[in-house]
Amino acid sequence: MIWITKLTIGLKSLFQKQRVERELDEELESYVEASAAHKQIDGMTAEAAHRAAMVEMGSRNAVKHQVWSSRWESTLEGLLQDTRVSMRMLAKSPAFAAIALLSLALGIGGNTAIFTLINQVMLRNLPVQHPEQLVTFGDAENSGIAGGIDIGAYGLFPWYFARQLQADPGPFQGIASYGSFANEASVRLPSPDGVAASNAPAILVRTSLVSGNYFSVLGAQPFMGRAISPFDDATPGSGAVVVISHHLWQQSLSSDPAILGKTIRINGTPFDVIGVMPEAFHGIKRELEPPDMWAPMAMQTIVMKHPSLLLPAGGANGTYFLNVFGRLSVQASTNKSSLAQTQTWLDNQIRTGLRALEGAKLSPAREREINRVTEPLIPATHGVSSVRSQYGDSLQILMGVVVLVLLIACANLANFLLARSATRHRDIATRLALGSSRARIIRQGLIETFLLSLVGGLLGLAVAFAATRSLIAFVSQGNAYIAMSPNPDASVLLFTLGVSLLTGLLFGLAPAIISSRIGASGNLSAGSRTAQSSGGKSARLWPKALVTAQVMLSLLLLVGAGLFLRTLRNLVTQDYGFERSHLLLTEFNASLAGYKPSQTPGLQQQLLERLSALPGVRSVALAATPPISGGNWSSDITIPGYTPAPKESMNSKLNRVSGQYFETVGIKIVAGRAINDSDTANRQKVAVINQAIAKRFFPKGDAVGRSLSIDIDDVKGPWQIVGIARDTKAGDPRSSAPLRMTYIPLAQIDAFNPVDPSAQATTSPAAPEENQDRVANLILLRTTGDPANTIADLRAMVTSIDPNLPLTKITTIRDQVDDFISHDQLLSTLTTLFAVLALLLAAIGLYGVMSYNVVRRTNEIGIRIALGAQTPAVQWMILSESLVLLAIGVGLGLPLTLLTTTYIKGQLFGLSALDPVTFGVALLVVSAMTLLAAWLPARRATKVDPMVALRCD
Amino acid sequence: MPTTADEAGQHISKSTDLIQGTLEMLILKTLALEPMHGYGVALRIEQISNGVFRVNPGSLLPALSRMERAGRVKSEWRATENNRRAKYYLLTANGRKALTTETERWQRQILAISRILEA
Repeated sequence: MIWITKLTIGLKSLFQKQRVERELDEELESYVEASAAHKQIDGMTAEAAHRAAMVEMGSRNAVKHQVWSSRWESTLEGLLQDTRVSMRMLAKSPAFAAIALLSLALGIGGNTAIFTLINQVMLRNLPVQHPEQLVTFGDAENSGIAGGIDIGAYGLFPWYFARQLQADPGPFQGIASYGSFANEASVRLPSPDGVAASNAPAILVRTSLVSGNYFSVLGAQPFMGRAISPFDDATPGSGAVVVISHHLWQQSLSSDPAILGKTIRINGTPFDVIGVMPEAFHGIKRELEPPDMWAPMAMQTIVMKHPSLLLPAGGANGTYFLNVFGRLSVQASTNKSSLAQTQTWLDNQIRTGLRALEGAKLSPAREREINRVTEPLIPATHGVSSVRSQYGDSLQILMGVVVLVLLIACANLANFLLARSATRHRDIATRLALGSSRARIIRQGLIETFLLSLVGGLLGLAVAFAATRSLIAFVSQGNAYIAMSPNPDASVLLFTLGVSLLTGLLFGLAPAIISSRIGASGNLSAGSRTAQSSGGKSARLWPKALVTAQVMLSLLLLVGAGLFLRTLRNLVTQDYGFERSHLLLTEFNASLAGYKPSQTPGLQQQLLERLSALPGVRSVALAATPPISGGNWSSDITIPGYTPAPKESMNSKLNRVSGQYFETVGIKIVAGRAINDSDTANRQKVAVINQAIAKRFFPKGDAVGRSLSIDIDDVKGPWQIVGIARDTKAGDPRSSAPLRMTYIPLAQIDAFNPVDPSAQATTSPAAPEENQDRVANLILLRTTGDPANTIADLRAMVTSIDPNLPLTKITTIRDQVDDFISHDQLLSTLTTLFAVLALLLAAIGLYGVMSYNVVRRTNEIGIRIALGAQTPAVQWMILSESLVLLAIGVGLGLPLTLLTTTYIKGQLFGLSALDPVTFGVALLVVSAMTLLAAWLPARRATKVDPMVALRCD
Repeated sequence: MPTTADEAGQHISKSTDLIQGTLEMLILKTLALEPMHGYGVALRIEQISNGVFRVNPGSLLPALSRMERAGRVKSEWRATENNRRAKYYLLTANGRKALTTETERWQRQILAISRILEA
């Protein structure tokens, strides 16, 4: 408690300094009086006694100062004083302050912006209890409905198996599962009276299907109400309850406090709202577009509008759609061997499951294969995030880049301060002579730099906010609501503060120490110019070292930027196999508008006919997936007469297309013919394969006329191959091996699933089952002009065909391709931006140092000119100095760059990390920058008038 | 600043340098007898030491200010015997305790030093 009293007393005396001063004066007065009185008693005259007392006291101000210094608040006062002085100093050189603040704001802002993203994408833990205990089973980033794969392959599991694990979690505290993708459901919200009006406008809400124990295993508590429990998910078809996100509650339900118990209609079925999750909760999967509702898995058919995927072991092939995660026991999350045991348990479960599926017909080869199956446990402390895997590396590289930029800015500021401290020699020498301590001078210098760096940091926060907003807008690719925010949180603020202080220390410490080394003697008398040139070797070495470092780092950044730019160029200009302009893509969802697959052919026909009549539209096609997409409709194919080698992959990507698809997308047919409008339901079933399949399975070039079948029952075939299409980049544009593609006509897919004789006995459906693979999800329009101009016409036309048909996403093919190279765009754009900034800073720094050198050597240059030195000689003298710096900078920078670029090899495409063009251009740019920055001062040096130069000291 | 305070402590007396750190103890001892103003303390120290220690205001007043902050003495304005106003310093309970411990420590040191000198 004592320190509190001390603090209050100290602050009081600080704020009432005048009163304290008065009291001290009075005390001293009475001291002198008492002393004089005593001396008078001893026999002195009144006047003599008073004088003696005064002499004894000495300087009254010195005593007062000593008393004042004995108290802690004097230090604080000193600090305030220094701050005031520093602010005056900065105000006296506004140009310096402005440049310093600007470069700091940009440097610190860049760091904060990238850190904000890194923090959100990579560092932030899931907002649940003990997130470090969570592990996903395999790579849970894959999503979809798969068939013909092993349990757990691609991180996908069938329902019955996940259910088994949930019931018996073995060494885990719990195992839960969720639908690997959140699909958009048509939702009607409750009107204020609490009943979901069936005529209210429907909105599309991303809904995630979760197992009953999802929330309890995750350790997530609802914000209000309750989360989904196992009893909600007991039997398929039961449990019409839903938990909603804070975002949905706030945005669409105006934070209705009485929302619990109200009913919302999901795809027409009423669901009770039982809980609202906290704002930070978006599920274990951290997608750009987070789900806004969670419903029990038992309601899958309604939420997904898809036939049941919740099938027992026997009939579950083709229904691998769940991601599974578990909560490790406390031991397993801390102890390696315990974790290994847990891993073994899981692998055994999966192997047992696989053997049960295979039944008796297990070949030794397959047995060995099964024994090798393992499902890695992947830590999910930060959740599962495709954003992280897409942008994580880029963000790390960018973090390195912005740190380099900040270092260059620091070097600049240090240089400026050094130059300035040289001009302040007299000032400092005077202060030292007047009795100021060196510590005090260093302190004042540091306060000045911290003032700069903290204000710079504050500005940097503003810069970062703006930058992060546009970065997030870039990353979100036009999604309206994403789970990222530019608002800095506590850790970002702390980071910025730390960076600011570190920056201040970095650029301020050396100049402050050097300036305090100035001797108090001698400099006062010497002329200012001689004083500056006598600053000692270190004072002249420092600026040069800093400029050399700047050249070095600029070279590194330029090479990096060049490599990324050329990578992007290679990605963009490579041959995709289809036309990448004048193509508009529109996703639509007929099932949300109430169409059954068997009802879609009419709609499809109408869409094709009416849309092709639109002005500016050359041709129209329908398809399941875009020519390039991350999604995957794929399957093994069987080719009669071809026996696959053991373990050979027979997988092919599939697409179902309308006639004119190839014409619309611009994929060339290299042999045979394309699929066209004459390939109708009752004609011969045909298929087009791509070159990759033709080359692999028909090396003799006899593909056309042969047939193939697909290992998915509802599109089995056989399909007669009528044409070979060019290979296209159908997935990741970086993959060099072309993907296999098989195209089949939409019109030739049966509207109903083939009747499986064995299934009929058990389920005996009244009507044949609808074939989900008969629907198309995508309209493709080839336009004559800018595709964007056609969007309004397209919308109007679709509305006139069916006002309820939702167009979920409209993009151009260019955007679609850009989606795949967005992180390359991000990297190349930002590194180029930062490299230019760094180059500018370095140029300013070099220019500053060179012109300062010229000013410093005015005397010398004047003498040289007076003695007959020619202009070129003088110019060369100055230029050669900077050339030496350039040579050293490049000499050190090249090896550093060569070393660093090997770390970014993985990010490059179509060129080596040692790309000579990039290195050459970077060297050229750095050299040009150096010469330009040195040429101006060199020119000024030749203009020195010897008479003026010699007279001026 | 502490440096200036130390420097001040070194020119306490023209005749004999006061051993570092003893000034506070002497002030405490002086005030233990009765409350006194600054000059009274200086005078008392000088008189009792027979003029060996002469404490000037430049070191006395900062020391008193420090001790006041540390809660060993407190001050109040009183009338002097000549009917003037002066700042009187009083020993607090805290100061009394400090005096005892400092005296004990001092005596231990003296004893040790004289033993060394006599050895």
